[in-house]
Amino acid sequence: MTNTDLSAVRQPINAAHGLPNAHYIDPTVFDEERAALLMSGWSGLAVSADVPEPGDAVPITFLGMPLVLIHDRAGTVRVFHNICRHRGMILVDAPRKIEGAIRCPYHSWCYSTEGRLVSTPHVGGPGQNTAEGIDRDLLGLIEVSSHIWLGVVWINLSGTAPSFEEANADLLARWAEFDKPLYHGGADSQFQLKVNCNWKLAVENYCESYHLPWVHPGLNSYSRLEDHYHIEQPGQFSGQGTLVYRQLRDEQGQTFPDFDGLSGKWDTASEYITAYPNVLLGVHRDHAFAIILIPQGPGETVEHVHLFYAQPDTDAALRAKNTAQWKEVFEEDIFVVEGMQRGRHAPSFDGGRFSPAMDGPTHMFHDWVAEHMALHRAHAQAAE
Amino acid sequence: MNDLGAQLLAAHAASDVPALVALYRAAADTADTDTARGFYLTHAHVFALEINHPDTADLRAALIAMGREQAL
Repeated sequence: MTNTDLSAVRQPINAAHGLPNAHYIDPTVFDEERAALLMSGWSGLAVSADVPEPGDAVPITFLGMPLVLIHDRAGTVRVFHNICRHRGMILVDAPRKIEGAIRCPYHSWCYSTEGRLVSTPHVGGPGQNTAEGIDRDLLGLIEVSSHIWLGVVWINLSGTAPSFEEANADLLARWAEFDKPLYHGGADSQFQLKVNCNWKLAVENYCESYHLPWVHPGLNSYSRLEDHYHIEQPGQFSGQGTLVYRQLRDEQGQTFPDFDGLSGKWDTASEYITAYPNVLLGVHRDHAFAIILIPQGPGETVEHVHLFYAQPDTDAALRAKNTAQWKEVFEEDIFVVEGMQRGRHAPSFDGGRFSPAMDGPTHMFHDWVAEHMALHRAHAQAAE
Repeated sequence: MNDLGAQLLAAHAASDVPALVALYRAAADTADTDTARGFYLTHAHVFALEINHPDTADLRAALIAMGREQAL
């Protein structure tokens, strides 16, 4: 395989080019990025609200891998590879409640919700449930490192990343005021958008405010381009913020309750950050949201959108209005991310140039991609 | 097919796990050989584990006493 040349990406923004077309349309590069970008660090997988009660289990296919999200009986949310240690059979094939143990439907090996192998029926012959060489302590479910923050279940598939708190220390510090219980709005506060684009284009579009007056003209009435600012933390995250956030109100003028203890900045500010690689986050005085990008292939992504509130008993009609408002905004972005995806099939496209004034957060993401690809390629070469 | 066998098939077809626990335990109680008893108790125990049945610990203890299972 010939590596893509990313030297132009790593130039200063006023000279840099964007990532080459292959990073959006080539299955080989997609697989390379899968390991280099999506498995090596902390990626978003789901929300903890997907498994609200002990025993709840949800199978999730992530990057082609069968995983299962489980709320164990002791109260911890865990992620496992969704396979039996015997013959690799899928254990949980639909969302359900685990009453006791997870029983493999093939030969009935059983696992606790904490992943411990607790039964191996007939493994030593009929009615003999132990056997030499079958050490149950070594054959529990294969757990994936996971962490919950802002209601999102983050996973590190390689198992080699620093702790979530260490890897995301600057983002956690920036939004420390939101590190408190968040309440998922429930069924009326989540939706999915299937978009025909590479997952990175959704990140790139989310990071910058440059497009807002053109793609979201409704925002112009109160949130002008000059009211926005860049958020740039090299190697970790980027995005944008606004100084004129206005709370949603119902017909009686009621708003959502605020998060407790926020500083005055948040009276009118809101911020929108991509936690690299695949989680788009937004925080406001009265609600937060997370968009988890699940890549389906080089040119297809599913955006899982979830909205959270400061209290568990918010007004249902106002929640529905808020969900509808955000859905409209995110749907307005679809034609641009899909248009850029189609544009990546133009052989003459050179990755494009960045506005030095307006595209800093996007270039920062490209630079992060290029840096991690270089690290991955260096490790691969050293291994050879 | 005897009556117990028919009931077991029906319980499997209906995915009636509590019934499977009871029926396999009954099958163990009437088994002719130690091997057959171990086989049926194993099934009763596995289905009990699956639903956190109150008899799970007793079934496991019975298998351990027969040298057919290990303690948790």
